[in-house]
Amino acid sequence: MAMRQTPLTCSGHTRPVVDLAFSGITPYGYFLISACKDGKPMLRQGDTGDWIGTFLGHKGAVWGATLNKEATKAATAAADFTAKVWDAVSGDEVLTLAHKHIVKSVNFTQDSSCLLTGGNDKTIRIYDINKPEAEPQEITGHTSAIKKALWCNNDTQILSAADDKTVRLWDRTSTAVVKQLSFDMSVSSMEYIPDGEVLVITYGKTIAFYNALSLDLIKTVDAPASIHSASLHPDKDFFVAGGDDFKLYKYDYSTKEELESYKGHFGPVHCVRFSPDGELYASGSEDGTLRLWQTEVGKTYGLWKCVLPEELVSENSDTIYCTPAAPEIKA
Amino acid sequence: MRTPMSVLRLPRGPDPNSRGFDPDSPRFIALCSTTISSSTDTETDSVQIGEEQCARSMLRESFLRTLIAMTNKQVQFYMYERVKVNAVFVASDIDVLNFQVSDLQTPIGVQKEALLRCQDVILYSFDL
Repeated sequence: MAMRQTPLTCSGHTRPVVDLAFSGITPYGYFLISACKDGKPMLRQGDTGDWIGTFLGHKGAVWGATLNKEATKAATAAADFTAKVWDAVSGDEVLTLAHKHIVKSVNFTQDSSCLLTGGNDKTIRIYDINKPEAEPQEITGHTSAIKKALWCNNDTQILSAADDKTVRLWDRTSTAVVKQLSFDMSVSSMEYIPDGEVLVITYGKTIAFYNALSLDLIKTVDAPASIHSASLHPDKDFFVAGGDDFKLYKYDYSTKEELESYKGHFGPVHCVRFSPDGELYASGSEDGTLRLWQTEVGKTYGLWKCVLPEELVSENSDTIYCTPAAPEIKA
Repeated sequence: MRTPMSVLRLPRGPDPNSRGFDPDSPRFIALCSTTISSSTDTETDSVQIGEEQCARSMLRESFLRTLIAMTNKQVQFYMYERVKVNAVFVASDIDVLNFQVSDLQTPIGVQKEALLRCQDVILYSFDL
């Protein structure tokens, strides 16, 4: 019996959610960080969406947020011209890295020793977290604001997407451009999948998949509306995308067939990411909420429980209820 | 007609009174001492951590004592946007997110009771 998707709404932010990231799988589960224009990034338990804490300190909109693999450190990029590193267990601010303009993107290396930043000053910077007073290594070349900068190829190379309509692959040691992709319009988002070296890029209504090492195009898929973000499932069987029409789309990666579309958000979807175990994906929207969606609707996981019709009317059952009929509460 | 997927409860939202990161959570208890330092060897670590902890305790105690000393005194608060206000300090909340003050002198009048958001305060001073 096919079930209808029930998204879980995480409220708490008071302005649009512009970025989100998952940690790896830790002994305490996995975690989710959300970047919000209200300046208060939040940490949540990844499989339930339960709020754990809010990182307080930024004085402007937070444009980018990330967690290290072990979810022990968090980093945020903000409109107050700083990137901050946080202890993700205690919530304490550990480092403030001053920049010359709005910072948009932050990314840790696998061993969490270095932080990559990029933003409106068009320069990519590499900070050694253990030596924060040292001058960062700088990589210049982009002619417009950088939207996203990510480590790739075992942290030996860097991928960056900017408003100059290019995506560039840089060598970390030489800081030279290895390869460049040019587009007719600005890239709206970029996701790097280390396992399999896949790069997911969105622009206009297109979701494009590239080989992250060679930047050779694998395939493109066009959606019904302008897409702001897309994410590929860890097993590479599905991908999800969201954008201007407030909906989440789920596609089969091999056949490019649109499998499902879900309504739920009250504003454009700015970011979407699969969890590290692929069981759910999280979306952040202009409406100020995060929503968690099941990859396989009907499966018991996290807060979702598969309940047989007889159990719903049983007197012995726990408080189990269906939420779709309930009115949506705007953040 | 598909049956909607059932849910045990909704995700828990933020606590309005604190910034979270529950120190009683298993993760905090297990990890918090080790997140102070990351990669160096353990022997010198415990000495350094011990010294650092002593310094932290001293500073924390001094800070708390200043809050006690400030109670019911006139305090000048220097805040962002070149705001400088005088008020009588009453209390702080547990996470030092807000200060409760009385007779807050503002350009548009005296506010009998007010809350100052600590993140907006750059420095404050008072006479002992």
